Amino acid sequence: MAGIGKQRLHLAWVSSAEAQRFVEVVTQTTDSVKAQGKFDPKAFAFELAAAELTLAEETLRWMVGKEVKITTKGDVFGRRWDRDTFESILDSLLERVYQKNLILQAVKEGHTSVRDIHKKIGLDLKRISYLLADMENRNIVEFAGMEESKPIFAAL
Amino acid sequence: MKEFEPKIVAFLCNWCAYAGADLAGVSRLQYPPNIRTVRVMCSGRVDPLFVLQAFKQGCDGVLVAG
Repeated sequence: MAGIGKQRLHLAWVSSAEAQRFVEVVTQTTDSVKAQGKFDPKAFAFELAAAELTLAEETLRWMVGKEVKITTKGDVFGRRWDRDTFESILDSLLERVYQKNLILQAVKEGHTSVRDIHKKIGLDLKRISYLLADMENRNIVEFAGMEESKPIFAAL
Repeated sequence: MKEFEPKIVAFLCNWCAYAGADLAGVSRLQYPPNIRTVRVMCSGRVDPLFVLQAFKQGCDGVLVAG
């Protein structure tokens, strides 16, 4: 989602008895990453910071941790969610948290009005206003006054 | 110019891939020297934040093997 390229992350299963398989996996990974070239963290600093805050976010981590319980035993109200419902809600939560953190990063960098934030992260204006209102309620950003009849926000 | 050598952080499970890597060493199998191994007690121990942190500190790829 952050556009870092999931091709750079590899996941593989190697048993302890499979030295040959390990060599294959390492060779494949190295070749693939080599073909993709150098990764520059500075070019992605903005996205990385937002992604880091997102992954550390409490609600999201609770949600992931409770997955098995919610889909097999049920939530606190005793409702059992099917996997599709759970996953679609998790996806939308992830998207929402990530967008909020992008906005927060933008505000921190000095893009303080809705239009400036839109220019920086490309999210649509309505969504930005909506998320900003929510962030204001949660004391993540504050309303810092008007400038040329536009509302200006500051990170707390 | 020298060929680009990527830095890859490899999170290896103590019981599976790490033992596999050990065996590869003992059996003298050749593999690329680009990986930097981090031994974890289980691949479930790997937090997505570790992966992000690795990228943040400038590695070019991450391998999680269990």
